[in-house]
Amino acid sequence: MSTELQPKDVLAKAEALRNSLSSGFRDEIVKSLYSEAESIAKRAVKTADNKRYDFDQKIDRLVTSPITGLPIMLLLLTIIIWLTVTGANVASNAIAVVLFAVGDFGRNLFTQIGAPWWLTGFIWDGVYLGLAWVISVMLPPMMIFFPAFTFLEDLGYLPRVAFNLDWMFKKTGAHGKQSLTMAMGFGCNAAGVIATRVIDSPRERLIAILTNNFVPCNGRFPTLIMLATVFVAAAFPPALTSFVAAGTVVGVVLIGVGFTFLASWILSRTVLKGEASAFTLELPPYRRPNVSRILYTSIIDRTIFVLWRAMQTAAPAGAIIWIMANVPIGDTNLARAVADWLNPLGLLLGLDGVILLAYIIAIPANEIVVPTMMMVYMGAGMMVNGPSSNEAIFDLLVNGNGWTMLTAINLMLFALLHNPCATTIMTIYKETKSLKWATLSVVMTLGTAFLVTFLTASVARLLGWV
Amino acid sequence: MSPTNWILLSVFVLPLITFIPRVGLLAVIKTYRAAKEREHIEDALKHLLDREQQGRHASPVSIAGTLDLPLGKATQLIEHMETQELLETRGNELHLTTKGERWALHVVRAHRLWERFLADEARMPLERVHNEAQRREHSLTESQLDELDAAMGHPTRDPHGDPIPTREGTLPKVEGTPITAWQAERPARIVHLEDEPALAYQQILAVGLRLGQVIRVLEKTQNRYLLSDGETVYKLAPAVAANVHVAALPESEMLKREAVPLVELAHDQRGEIVMLDEAVQGFTRRRFLDLGLTPGTVIYPELQNFFGDPRAYRIRGTLIALRKDQAAQIWVKPV
Repeated sequence: MSTELQPKDVLAKAEALRNSLSSGFRDEIVKSLYSEAESIAKRAVKTADNKRYDFDQKIDRLVTSPITGLPIMLLLLTIIIWLTVTGANVASNAIAVVLFAVGDFGRNLFTQIGAPWWLTGFIWDGVYLGLAWVISVMLPPMMIFFPAFTFLEDLGYLPRVAFNLDWMFKKTGAHGKQSLTMAMGFGCNAAGVIATRVIDSPRERLIAILTNNFVPCNGRFPTLIMLATVFVAAAFPPALTSFVAAGTVVGVVLIGVGFTFLASWILSRTVLKGEASAFTLELPPYRRPNVSRILYTSIIDRTIFVLWRAMQTAAPAGAIIWIMANVPIGDTNLARAVADWLNPLGLLLGLDGVILLAYIIAIPANEIVVPTMMMVYMGAGMMVNGPSSNEAIFDLLVNGNGWTMLTAINLMLFALLHNPCATTIMTIYKETKSLKWATLSVVMTLGTAFLVTFLTASVARLLGWV
Repeated sequence: MSPTNWILLSVFVLPLITFIPRVGLLAVIKTYRAAKEREHIEDALKHLLDREQQGRHASPVSIAGTLDLPLGKATQLIEHMETQELLETRGNELHLTTKGERWALHVVRAHRLWERFLADEARMPLERVHNEAQRREHSLTESQLDELDAAMGHPTRDPHGDPIPTREGTLPKVEGTPITAWQAERPARIVHLEDEPALAYQQILAVGLRLGQVIRVLEKTQNRYLLSDGETVYKLAPAVAANVHVAALPESEMLKREAVPLVELAHDQRGEIVMLDEAVQGFTRRRFLDLGLTPGTVIYPELQNFFGDPRAYRIRGTLIALRKDQAAQIWVKPV
């Protein structure tokens, strides 16, 4: 007499048997798997000599030693950023010339075939200009930064950086590998957020995701460099100009790093304290970099991926910016009217209404913040580069629009701390699959930006500096 | 904007944020009050269960004391729970009904599973686990709790060693032997203190014996038992000692006596892994096992960080960095 075996009987049996298992049965299973693998490996793998291994050890001692480790790290980072900034400048201008020429051609074509002015403006001065601007500013730095970074990654050097810096991150409750995702954030915060996949512990990964925005990406660097050159460096003798400007930008970056640590510390002790956590860090052997893999990862996986997402948001932003500049309200336009309405809040934060407006409509991409600002200040109908010389920019902003040193400094702080761009927010949502963390990333950064700029503005006013 | 505009805006917006279903102010207050009430009921149930397990009974006064409520509120709560058939009043004594006991066990299960989760997965220090679990125990339904249970591999004890009730609401029985039947000399852990008769129980507590203590029988005569935990000597009458139930030490405790934590190995000194500490559970333990930190494997520190922490260890041909607090939980035998 055999009765049919039901799934639920099996489950019940398993349930009953589970109590008789010893507590270490999982360890035993893993142990047996490993010993099996070991015996297979012993039969199949022959170790020749230890030359490579000794070589690896020598490099390891060099890059993690107190005397040579830190300088090597700083040197490599400086080289990469220098390559990116100088190389991108040339390429950006070249791309801009070509893309803007295509824009002129399109505009002329539309005018010739008799298209209405608003259609020409909407398509070529709105949507197309937004796209062209984002591509020309964003693409070159990414094309240089990402391959260089991926080269170090492929070499096996990056885990050593995490190893060297872990003590700092441990104090704030974060993971040493966050140093790598932060470095990636210099290229692009969205790419930095994706790079947090290398952190296998859920809590530390969330910390890295939520704080990545405190590292300025290459879309924000032009803003910082422009302000540092036009305002801060202008107060020094010409010989020192570029030196002071670079120092100012480095200072801003360091403030960002400070906020990263502060936010990590607070997050790990408040909202994230119940999330799962563990620390392990593998230091793989050094490898000869594989050029085709580097190119594939950096160009296809990182650059194209990020650029595509940015273009999806930049096109509608370009359209909105053009509409705002061309819808007349009384004797001015919509953009100016909204900027005037925002002005009290802007002044409270040591900024002004135009800056806030530029940040609101330029949420999709930080690259178009400055062109949008210039557009409103100059009363233009589309995004513009602004005056060509530093003196003219200074004149436009200070004498024409009431800027002070406080405005410049607070704009730098605001650019550093404000909410992530739409691409990054979207990426955070996709990586965490949680509306809660995406919202927190915006609220936290925007709150910090408002608070810090409000405080500096108030202090500066109380002390009578402005 | 002019003042009129502001007034118009407020007339429109204020009712909106007050009355919107689910996210409006009113709805939020309502949800909050329902959660608060559930918390009170569940805390009262836990208190009743606790008292019953000690062989005593709860009263309105004891509930008011434990929940930190005024007596009037506590009486109201008790009446409310009585209409829900969670408890019965007999004179001044409160008794759990079957339904009440089941719910109480659910809360205890939630509490202990959360403690396990916080200690294992979130690596929260043990002294903070209780308070956090106290906050979280009221929020899960039974099926969510089952998921949590399964995700952690059906643990049987919380980090303090207390048994976790099963889904069906039974507490696993503790297997112990009276110390009078235990072989002298073998160390043992106290797993149960019999609370009947009460006089003997009080005597045991009075000499200072606690659950979970590791003890050894020093002397065993007709008149008295001498027990020691290595520091203090406890004296008990044989009849009283019979109420102390003990069990063999887990194997891990024996192994630990001959091993040192990995963190104490000097540079390049080889060690063989003996075991992973019992305190390493959950996510971290799985990671350790994944990396091949299994008993019998040879490991040695190879790379020093210039700030001392972390260190990188060579194991199975790969280099893995571990922080100090983690390396302290891996027990090795220097070879």
